[in-house]
Formats: sequence, structure tokens, C-alpha cells
Amino acid sequence: MKTAHVLIVALMLAVSVVSGAAWAQDPRLEAAKKEGKVVWYTSLVLPSAEKVAKLFEAAYPGIKVEVHRTGSQRILQRVMQELGANIKIVDVIHTSDAGHFVMLKDKKLLIQYAPAGIEKFPAGFKDKDGYYFGLRATVTVIMYNTKSVSASEAPKTWKDLLDPRWKGKEVTAHPGYSGVVATHVLALVHLHGWDYFKQLAQNRVMLTQSANDPPGVVASGERIVAVNGGEYSAYQLKKKGNPIEIVYPKEGVPLVVSPTAIAAFAPHPNAAKLFTDFTFTREVQQVMADSEGLYTGHPEVKYPADKPKLSDLKLLTVDADELEKRNEEIKKRFVEFFGA
Amino acid sequence: MPGVTISGLTKRYGDVAAVEGLDLAVAPGELVALLGPSGCGKTTTLRLVAGFLAPEAGEIRVGDRCLSSASSVVPPEHRKMAMIFQSYALWPHMTVAQNVAYGLRVGRRVDRPERERRVREILRAVQLAGFERRYPGELSGGQQQRVAVARALVVEPEILLLDEPLSNLDANLREEMRFEIRRLHEAFGITTLYVTHDQAEAMVISDRIAVLDRGRVVQVGTAADLFERPRTRFVAQFIGRTNLVEGVMAAPGVVLRGRLSLRVPAGETKPGDQVAVSIRPHTITLLADEPARPAGAEENRMRGTVRRASYLGAGVDYEVDIDDADVTLRVAAPPPSRFAPGARVSLAVSVEACLPLAEA
Amino acid sequence: MDRSLPVWVLTGLLLALLILLPLGWLVALSLSGDGGAGLASYRAALTDVQLRKALWNTVVMAFWVGLASLAIGAPMAWLTARTDLPGKRTIRALMLASFVTPPFLGAFAWVMLAGPNAGLLNKLYRDLTGAQDPLLNIFSMPGLVFAVTLYTFPYVFIMIANTLELIASDLEEAAAILGARRFTVAVTVTLPMVAPAIASGFILAVLQALALFGSPAILALPAGFHTITTQIWSYFQYPPKIELAAAASMPLLVATALLLFLQRRLLGRRGYASVGGKTGQRRAVSLGAWRWPAFLGCLAVMACSIFLPYGVLARAALSRAWAQPLSWDNLTLGNVWFTFWQYSATRSAIVNTLELGVMTATVGAVMAALLAYTVNRRLVPGSQVLPFLVLAPVVIPGVVLAVGLFIAYTRPPLLLYGTLWILFAAYLTKELPVGYSQSDATFRGVHAELEEAGRILGAGRLRVLGEITAPLARSGIIATWCFIFIGVIRELSASIILFTPDTKVMSVVIFDLKEEGQFGAIAVLGLFMLLMTFATVTLMQTLLGRDVLGVRE
Repeated sequence: MKTAHVLIVALMLAVSVVSGAAWAQDPRLEAAKKEGKVVWYTSLVLPSAEKVAKLFEAAYPGIKVEVHRTGSQRILQRVMQELGANIKIVDVIHTSDAGHFVMLKDKKLLIQYAPAGIEKFPAGFKDKDGYYFGLRATVTVIMYNTKSVSASEAPKTWKDLLDPRWKGKEVTAHPGYSGVVATHVLALVHLHGWDYFKQLAQNRVMLTQSANDPPGVVASGERIVAVNGGEYSAYQLKKKGNPIEIVYPKEGVPLVVSPTAIAAFAPHPNAAKLFTDFTFTREVQQVMADSEGLYTGHPEVKYPADKPKLSDLKLLTVDADELEKRNEEIKKRFVEFFGA
Repeated sequence: MPGVTISGLTKRYGDVAAVEGLDLAVAPGELVALLGPSGCGKTTTLRLVAGFLAPEAGEIRVGDRCLSSASSVVPPEHRKMAMIFQSYALWPHMTVAQNVAYGLRVGRRVDRPERERRVREILRAVQLAGFERRYPGELSGGQQQRVAVARALVVEPEILLLDEPLSNLDANLREEMRFEIRRLHEAFGITTLYVTHDQAEAMVISDRIAVLDRGRVVQVGTAADLFERPRTRFVAQFIGRTNLVEGVMAAPGVVLRGRLSLRVPAGETKPGDQVAVSIRPHTITLLADEPARPAGAEENRMRGTVRRASYLGAGVDYEVDIDDADVTLRVAAPPPSRFAPGARVSLAVSVEACLPLAEA
Repeated sequence: MDRSLPVWVLTGLLLALLILLPLGWLVALSLSGDGGAGLASYRAALTDVQLRKALWNTVVMAFWVGLASLAIGAPMAWLTARTDLPGKRTIRALMLASFVTPPFLGAFAWVMLAGPNAGLLNKLYRDLTGAQDPLLNIFSMPGLVFAVTLYTFPYVFIMIANTLELIASDLEEAAAILGARRFTVAVTVTLPMVAPAIASGFILAVLQALALFGSPAILALPAGFHTITTQIWSYFQYPPKIELAAAASMPLLVATALLLFLQRRLLGRRGYASVGGKTGQRRAVSLGAWRWPAFLGCLAVMACSIFLPYGVLARAALSRAWAQPLSWDNLTLGNVWFTFWQYSATRSAIVNTLELGVMTATVGAVMAALLAYTVNRRLVPGSQVLPFLVLAPVVIPGVVLAVGLFIAYTRPPLLLYGTLWILFAAYLTKELPVGYSQSDATFRGVHAELEEAGRILGAGRLRVLGEITAPLARSGIIATWCFIFIGVIRELSASIILFTPDTKVMSVVIFDLKEEGQFGAIAVLGLFMLLMTFATVTLMQTLLGRDVLGVRE
């Protein structure tokens, strides 16, 4: 904990210096400072989101970041609900459900804005029309509690999770809350069909909401196997010394790219653009990789040695359009099988 | 000191009339008691006079000012009256002195030194000197009542209203306070209306009594008037005990019941009317039975058999069955007890004491 | 007539707006659908399997909560009100604490205590007996019933204890003289006299359970079942099905209305069970050898409701990992730091909660006082209708009210959604009944004659109000303020639907944190909320100078 703090402070100083230089040059700064703040609806896990926000505030004194963190599906609900009541608060929208952005783009609720330096990112992180871009990525994995499960007993494939020996011992997150999980579910439906989940439900799986919940549940020992969950939070818990281990199934791990975009009706457009640029810089992307265990699209980011490289994993990708079209179905059928 | 004139006063609650066409005149400086059973409208009348209620019809005048009518009501705070409530209504968060001084401070706007002087004086008058700084919660029932009296009198009201102020006291204290209130009335001479259901209280305290029944004044008069010359059965039975002999007016001055014939003073009743003859128990004399003793000129004679004799110390209470008449009379005789149950007696009562009363 | 009349009338009108408008919209929307007006939404709602299951779950839960609350609350009430139980003051103080604890906080604490694998009690059990399976599983229907009952039974307790206070001992002594033993007397004499209060307490407990959102969300959802409140809430997820939410709200509304109607019939208009016989002396039934066992039993109940949950919350607040054993390196103030300094939502939520609490309590107390005064002194013809209107919101569960307000105020002319005002409207509507009851009791205690005495001595109406009525009613009004304030702080079921990121309140933040699995922060914020509540309660007790629950010594 202490080392991380030191690192953060050092990084903040570094970032301030770097951006201080940029400060004098960027013409949008004046306008952004006048706006005074940027409102960020994000599904990035809370401590991480707060950290990014503090970094930005240190680099650009005078502009506050208002972090509103909740699950991807809830973020969309908020945005649409507020819009329906003609309330325009949000500037930057960031969730883990790519389907959302297809819909938002179609409804003309986003502006076209390419963050500085985005050309270097791989294709999977860029919208061809330039409305939204992948801020981070993670994969969904299986996790287990090392105190209760030995490495040899642990499930190795998604199919292994259906084994009745895990009855009452598993935990899942919910696609009705989390974009990560919605993507995961669709990927697995492609792999094994809806029957997979029908069978899985027979194991009396505990329901949580956020993709960051199952790692915590497994680490505490409340349940000992997670059938899905965000790899990055599991990785962090493992690094902190919690009794949790990650399995990257050979059938493939669903890749979840979490896009970000700027709202067309953003009340602080300049601050929003500044913030977006900031989050795609190498420094911040490196921070996300280092302290949050995330994968990113930035080619210059270095990953810890104990994390598998994306290129080494069999990645299951999901088309954003399909995710958007089948969103209702995903949520409905999941509820149908799991009860709530 | 003005008087109060109430004419045709009517107050209705929905279909029920609590007060109906009530007329009453209170002379300046007089204390009139409003007496009647519960529900007769006496408290309603008092509250109408106070201005807490508005009449549907009729008028209330104080002196020559019209204070209440169907069209307008002068609010209580402008009526220059004072009231003593059954619960005393002392304000628990103020001291005795503050309670008593309230009317002087708020209504009459008397300045402080004068206020303190008058409060001290009145507390002395009600025998509560030195109680200025106590709180009502620390006082006994009797003391609280005297504070209420002091509070009402210190403002020198034109009209004083009392709503059953003695009902919450125990019997001994009540008797004592009756005389106290009478004494204060004689000392201050304020026109007063006094509501009570206790006839003895009314008789001790008031100059005149107005008997109310079902929203109307049935009879007004002094205690003697009401007792000796009740005009209706209701009054006769409400004030003191009486015997009521039902019969028919056979001829002017003669009432027949069965074979019993009673001579009564001439009045408004006509031959053929159904009447009840009221005979007060203490007006009947019991004598040993003597056959055929002629009746005196102004006397009714009857014969009968004693049914019950109760020795009460101060007197004897007899029940006598009258011959030929299917009537039982109560007789109040002085001690000692002379006739045992079953004895034959002769009863004599003066004609004047046999009052013929019409229905109700 | 009086210049003050318009004020009274205006208040009455405001009430109509607060209650009739949202309800009106609710009904209107439930009857609308894609094809225009009709019962389409109702049909959709009734054929939705999810909803039917949710309805059934709700009925089952509420019923069992009612019974359990009765089973615990009634005996404790009898022990406290009629026997020589030791430590009565302690029990009553703990009862008050249980009464003001937000049920969702309790549910959350019990997750940490009785989660089947990580729960501390289960761990203890496994350590002691070497068993594999857990003793308790809080993520189940019985678990939910248990967690809800712990914070519902005080209602039953209060109702029955207050009734028992009214019964003179001679009725029971008459039975004792004829040879009946303690227990027989209790069952054959006391019980029938309190029967209306018992039935009424049962209904009250059921009503509380029906309207809860937080506890089911925390305990039922992970176990895979919905109750009707959580189901209605889920209809707000994108894409929202507001018409379904409205239609699903109606059965809840109707059920609540019916139950309340039944309860009023049982108790008569006065709202408390009147019992025969004069209120005479009360002599305590002697428990003999059972004195201390009974006390321990009561203490055990309060342990489940207060000691264990508060304890585990304190532990979680100060631990890095709550499930790990308590050791020096597990201890940290990091959670406190995170909650108050790092988590950006906390400060604004606390400010919002305080603002809304103070606003609602002040406006509510003033309104309640005005209304209670108007009704008590019969200032306006037909003012007898006002209590009915004021108490009506009791019929509306928080979630349903929120749906109605959402529908009413997310459209012109009154676009209140997104501001604190919509929350204010919800809280005011919800808390006014409690405020009114308290104010009503206050003004009953200030006899009209006290005011009349002032008037006849020359003081006008307003002066009498200021110099006589106000000082005497003051502590009662402040108590009203405190009641409303406490109610607002802990409100969740309406807030969860009406909040926007700018207008979060503490309860919503706690709920958010739960979805993040941030146990430490939840515990810190929860304890902070309890601190605010108890500070207010202490203020109230000092002012009123008696037991806030109204149970006389």
C-alpha cells in the first residue's frame, strides 16, 4: 500500500511537469478552466476512477473531475433517464458495454472526437466513425479461492464450471448491471449456447452485480469459485496478497473493450475533450495498467511480467452491434435462468 | 356596571338546537345562576355570551351595546368580560403572578408598577398573599381555583362568567367556596352569570336562578320563588323534592284523582285539564288518625297508612299510602319518629301548598 | 371571519397537490399503454412470470415477518409492561435503538455475520463443531424474514406495551384470587384484552415488511429472488418500463390500503386499543425464578438486533479485510479516510442528506402543527377531512410513491426530477403522517380552555398562539421535527428511484457502495448515519423529558 502511494505521488508530479509544459500551449485550456469541471460517468472501479480523477486535477488545477461510478447498465439508464427529463449533466460517458455506444451513436447523442494519439491504437479500440474509443480493456476469467481449492482441483475450462461438485459454491456478476458481464455472456453464448447458462444456474450460483464483486466474494471465502468477473480486479486482489488465483480458460477468454465518448449535449465540452485526451496519454494508460491491472490499447504501455500478454491468450471478441441488438435478450434470459 | 339582555338566542349544531329562543335579562350587579341538567344548554349559553360561539338567531346585549347577533359577533377579547373555567385554565408555564397579571398586561395595558400592586391586592383578597412566584402545578385544587378567581376579578370586568367552577373540588371545599364566592360578589358587585347543575349551590350563591331545560329558560326567579311556586313539573322536580299527584281539574280549584279530591289555589288551569298537583313533603303534617275531623277552611285532609318510616336524625322521612286514591306521598316530618309502618294516619296540607301544574 | 383562515386552507390545498397529483399520475399511467388507455399494462404485469413470483415472495415474506414480530414483540411487551422484569430501562433503550436503525443497514451487517461461508457466526460455528456446512444462510427467504423481523418487531412491542399500560391490575388480580396461576392469567385475562392490539401490531409489521426495499435488495437478490419492491425498481432499468412499474405498484397500494383499513377498524378512531375497566393501579406480576432468564432472553433478542450488527459494522469499518481475523495489521483507518476524503460522492451526499433532513423536518413540523391545530380547534368547517388526507400517505409504500412522483414530475409544468425538490416532495409526503400524529397528540394536550382564558382577558387569536399555545406546544413540535428528521436520514426506497448523480443522499451512497462490495466504506458511512440518528434521538429525549416511545414508566 505504501509503495503504491509513493508511486502515485511521483507519477502525479511527473504528470504535472509534463502537462505543465503542455499547459502553456493548449488553447482549449482557457475555455476549459472557465467551465471549471468535467462530469464523468464511469464504470471503472471506484478507487481507480478516483485515482485518474485526482491525477487530472493535479495536472490541470482549476478543473474539477466529478466522478459518478456505477455499473455500465446503470450508467446507460441514468443517461437515458436524465435525457428523457431534459437534464443535461454528463460530459464523458465510459462504460464496458460496447453495445451502448452503438445505440448512443445512432441516436446522435455523441460528438465525434478523436483523442490525441489515438492513431496508434489497434482497430478493436477505435470506432470507425470516430465517436468512441476504447479506454481500457480486460478479459473475463475464472477465479478460485486458494485456501479452499487446490490448483489441481480448480476448474480449467468454462465447461468445468457446470460440474455439480461446485453446487452452492459459485458466484457470478450480473449482465443487468455490468457491461463486462454482458459482453462475457454473449461471448459464451456464441461458444456454448444458452443451454450453458441454463445448466450453470442449476449450481445455485450466488448473484452479485458488478464485475468487481466476484473477486471480492472469492477472496473473502464466501464463495470459492467465480464463474466470471473482471480480470483486472482479481489481479489486483491477488497482488495485495489475497488468497485468490486466476484461470484463463483455454477455450478462450472474452475480451471486453470499454469505450469512452463525449456527450453531444455536454455542458463542459472543452474540459471534456481535455480530460479525454488526458486519459489516453501514455502516462495515464500506464497508470491504469500498473495499479489497476488493466489492459490498454496503447502500444507503449508495459505490463507486469506476471500477467499473460493479450497476444498469448485466445481472445473471444464480440461485435458491438450484436451486443446492442441482443442486450434485452441477454438480460432477460439471464434473469430467467438465475431468478433475479 | 351594565346588565346583560339575551333575547331569542338560538344556537344549532346540525339539526339539534342546543339553545332555542332563549330570553333572559340580568340586571346590573346581579348574580344569576343558569341551572339545569346536563345537555340543557347552560354552558352553550355562557359561551355565547363570552363570544366563543356565534348564534344563529337572537341577540346578546351588554348595557346598550349589541355584542352578538346572527350577523356579527364582537370577539371575546373586546368584550370586557372575564371567565372562570371548570378546569381553571391556569397557564402552567407562567407563575401565579403572571397568570393573574395577564389581563392587565394584555387587555387593559396597565403599566408594570400598577400591575404588581393590583396583583398583590387581589391575591390578598383571595387569601393567597405571598404566592406570586409559585407555579400552578405546585398548588392544590382549592388554591388553583382561587388564582382563577383572582385572575378574573383583577381586570375589573363588566361581566363575570363562571362555568361550574366548583365541580372539581371535594364536597367540604365546595361548600366553603360557595360562601366565599357569594362574599366576593357582594364585595365587588359585578354582573355575573353562573352555570351550575347543583341546585343547592345555585340557591346559596345567586340572586336569581334561571332554570334551563332543552335550550330554553323554563322559569326565572329567586330561590324562594322557584321552590315555593314552581310553574312546571320540571322545575318542581328539579328544585327540591316534591310529590306529584296526577289528576283532572273537576271544577275551578278542585282536582280529582280517583275518590280523592284536592282543593287547589285558582290558577290558569281550566276544568277538564290534566294537571299534576305538586305538594312539597315538608308542607304535609302527619297526625294520629281521627275519624271525620272536619278540614280547616284552607286545608286539604286525607287518610292513609304508613308504608315506611326512615329516621334521619334531623327529621323523619315517611312514605304514606293514601286511601281511595292509589297515591303514595312522601312526608318530611320533624323528629322523633311517631308512626311505625302499618300505622293509620291523618294528613293535613294547606291549600296554598298544593300547586296545580300543567303538563311538563 | 378570521384573517388566519386562508393560511389553513392553503395548507390543505398543498396536501392535495403532494398526494393526489402523484397518485393520479400513477393510476393514469398504469392505465395507459401503447394502444392508448386500457388495461394492457395490467395484463402484461399479471402475465409476467417474474412479477407473479415476486408478488408471491412478498406475501410469504410479509406474513412470516408479521408472525415472527408478534412472537418476539408481544412477550417482550408483556414482560416489560406487566412484570417485575429487571433492567426494563435498558431493554427499552435498546428497543429505541432498534427502532431507529435503518433495516438495510441491519441487513448488510447480517451479511457479514451470517453469510454462509464468510459470515463470522458461521465461521465460529464451524471452528467449534468442525462441521462443513454453515449454521445459518442469510441469503435465503428465512434469512430475509429474520433480518427484517429484527427491525420490525419494535412496532409490535410499542403497540402492545402501550395498550398493556392502560389495563388496570384489578382485572388480573380478580382472576388470581380465584386460583389462576400467572401464566393462566396472562392467557385467559390479559390476552383477550390486548387481542385488538395484537392483531393491529401484526398488521403494522406486515405493512412495514411490504414496503421495504433495502433488505430484499441486499438479501434476496443474491439468492435469486425478487420481492415486489425490488421488481418495481428493476423496471426502471434501461429500457425503462414505467407503465409496468405503475401497474405493478397497484396491487401493493391496494393491499396496503386494505390492511390499514382493517387496522383502523380494529382500533377505532383513536388509534389505540381501548380496554374496559377504569385505569387504575398497575401492580407488577411477579416472575419469581424466571426473572433473570427472562431478562437474558430479552437481551439475546436485542443482541441480534443491536450488539452483533453494530459490532460487526464497527469491525468492518476498522479492518482492511473484514472477513480476516482481527489483528493489528488488519486494523486500519483507511476506510474512514477513503469514505470521507477520497470517495467524491460522500461529502455531497452528507450535505444533501442534512439539507433535505433539515428542510423536510422544518417544513413538515410547521405544516403538521398548522394542520393539527386547525383540526383540533375546528377552525375551518369540514376540517375533519384533513386528518384523512394527511394520514393517507401511510397507505403508499415508498417505492410506489417514488414511481408516482417520478411520473408526475419528469414532465412539464413541474420538472422537479434531477433536483433536490423531488426528493423533498417524496420525504415530506412520506413523513407527514408521523409528524401529524405527534402534533395531534401535542395539541390535544394543550386544552382549548387555556387559549379561551387568554382571549377573554383581552388577547387576540394570534397573541394567544404566541404567548400561550406556542410555549406549551414547543417541546411537542420539536419532537415532531426530530421524528421527521430521523425518518428522512434513513429513507431508501423512494430515494433509490428518484436520485440523480447530483442529488445522492447517504442511504443511496451506501447502497451504491454495496454494489461495489466496498464493505469498509459502507460500515463507516453506516455508523456515521447511526451517529446522526442517535444524536437527534438524544436531543429529543432531553426535550421531551420522557421515553420517546411514549411508554410510560
